[in-house]
Amino acid sequence: MAGSSSDQTFDVASLVEDFDLNRIGQYVLVILFIGFFLAPLETGIMTAFKTNRAVAETIPLMPPLAEGFTLDNMTFALNALSGAFFNSLFMAIPATIGSVLLGSMAAYGLTMVDWRGQMGMLVLFLIGIFLPYQAVLVPLARFWNNIFPLASMMRPLFVAAPILQDYHANLVPLMITHIAYGIPICTILFRSYYQGLPSSYVEAAKIDGASITKIYRRIILPISKPMFGVVFIYQFTQIYNEFLFAFTLITGSDTPEAVVTLILPAVGASTSGIDFGIRMSAAFLAALPTLIIYVAFAEQFAEGLKSGG
Amino acid sequence: MGRIEISNLTKRFGDTTAVENLSLDIPDSEFLVLVGPSGCGKSTTLRMIAGLETPTEGSIYIGGEHMNYRVPQNRDIAMVFQDYALYPHMTVRENVRFGLEEEPGYTSEERDARVEEIADLLSISDLLDRRPGELSGGQQQRVALGRAIVRDPEVFLMDEPLSNLDAKLRAEMRTELQQLQHRFDVTTVYVTHNQTEAMTMSDRIAVMNDGTLQQVGEPLELYHAPANRFVGGFIGEPAMNFVEGTNENGTFVGTYIEYPFDEPIRENVGGVEGVVLGVRPEDINLRRFPEDGSGSLGDHEFQMTVSVVEPHGDQNVIHLRHPDDTGGDELLHAVTSGTTVVDAGTDVVVSIDPGAVHVFETATGDALHNRRLETELEVRNV
Repeated sequence: MAGSSSDQTFDVASLVEDFDLNRIGQYVLVILFIGFFLAPLETGIMTAFKTNRAVAETIPLMPPLAEGFTLDNMTFALNALSGAFFNSLFMAIPATIGSVLLGSMAAYGLTMVDWRGQMGMLVLFLIGIFLPYQAVLVPLARFWNNIFPLASMMRPLFVAAPILQDYHANLVPLMITHIAYGIPICTILFRSYYQGLPSSYVEAAKIDGASITKIYRRIILPISKPMFGVVFIYQFTQIYNEFLFAFTLITGSDTPEAVVTLILPAVGASTSGIDFGIRMSAAFLAALPTLIIYVAFAEQFAEGLKSGG
Repeated sequence: MGRIEISNLTKRFGDTTAVENLSLDIPDSEFLVLVGPSGCGKSTTLRMIAGLETPTEGSIYIGGEHMNYRVPQNRDIAMVFQDYALYPHMTVRENVRFGLEEEPGYTSEERDARVEEIADLLSISDLLDRRPGELSGGQQQRVALGRAIVRDPEVFLMDEPLSNLDAKLRAEMRTELQQLQHRFDVTTVYVTHNQTEAMTMSDRIAVMNDGTLQQVGEPLELYHAPANRFVGGFIGEPAMNFVEGTNENGTFVGTYIEYPFDEPIRENVGGVEGVVLGVRPEDINLRRFPEDGSGSLGDHEFQMTVSVVEPHGDQNVIHLRHPDDTGGDELLHAVTSGTTVVDAGTDVVVSIDPGAVHVFETATGDALHNRRLETELEVRNV
């Protein structure tokens, strides 16, 4: 009798027991941090869609209401950046693919193929990672302008090519610079992944008579697909967001071949003051490509981090 | 043909010597098992035969041809790896076919047909379009074998191929491997640290320790006539008992026991002073110690106490210690039939037949005397 009745009555005390102060504290902290990190982002997006008046009169965190809403900022920013977008992607995508692919090949050669002097080579790669960019800027500019003026050499080619204009040739030195400076870090990332692979993969293939290039093409390259996701995202973000080399090798933000990072500081800034709506729109647009890459490669990224990186 | 000759093979990695002055002649179509504890150089030896390591000194001949500087592909060998080395992104079919791709003399169709043929032989036809990750350990093992067989090599090299399987499957694959080897009649060098695999599968066993070859011979030869203490202790499970002591005028004197040698032993041992007595656990006979404590003990009998009994079902392993020994060190292990029940703590009489005794020299470990076998009969006609 007593048992059946207690089944029916709702036991409030047992519910309370489940609340753990520690857990509550944890959640409060997490929510606080989320707010802390997301508030600026939210502010930025909200500001991007506000008229100048709304920006001035409403709290930054508030969404734009009725009359305060506008798409003009976005359109303006898109117009200002469209050329730069093309330039940036035209430079960053080949540079990323180049450095990731070469880095993977170098890592394969340094980890899975035996040859004399491997260690010395690896040290050179390591030094390459720690080379301060500031130290090479002047020689780099002199190299591409005076010693080996690749851009002016390639200009006729670019004139003949469809879509491209002659000034796009100026992006080629920047592309090659990014490939060169990206290889060391890509190599080290791939190296740690390849070291985790069983050496029997390569040995079994060797016994079957596969050449070093065939082993790379048929076995190592397909196996390292998840790692390519990781390195690709990382490297694209690096190159796309890079400012120093772009600033040195491309003369300025007023040139037609300027990349996004060069143009961005100037958009929405004028002698009459800063137009926050436009600036925020431009910043949001500039960040889009990296976001898209993250989403597109998210699966490989997660798998790659899990299995090697 | 697949005869392998290894002469004075040495491999050094920096200051450490992995293999030292190894000479071995493996006749065509023999199944030779290279056995030894981890780090004894057996895998390095195999890898040198495969061409994955270059010898520091010495030569390797396969089918009479010098192999030292030949790339693995041109040695007419196939190797099965411990982790199988199956490529996870390829299907079973592609994995098996991969080994055939660089083989000259096949058309594309012939390659496909050959893969099917091998798959049929190993009964993995229905797995051909799956990936290695979807297969069980035993199936992966089969695919790895298929990849080795598909090239129809003169020599199979196997590096602990069964060590990743569970015990039951391992026993099955042991038989299957042997059958395959017989069927293809291919010289096989099989590396393992598992002495059961060595005993059951091989035509001959080569025991290695610390980079040097200890003994080569047929399984039973190694079991009954070990060349030294290491081989005696390594081959056989539970291991041979060793009792250290001295030889005093033809009598073995240890800390707890004295064991008079009979005439044949005396002849072989001669004047050597430091000796080790070796007895296989199954050669130790036990009987209950008389309750009244009277019973007289023979020359080759001792009183001992059972400390632990390990039942295996088919047999019992009995750990014995001497009654005077308070430290609890176990002196001997004996094996009795599974139906003989002894309780821990009982006093027993241990008798060791002089015909079953091995004697080793303490200093060198070399065998001075090996157990007596009733000529060849005892071994061959069982």
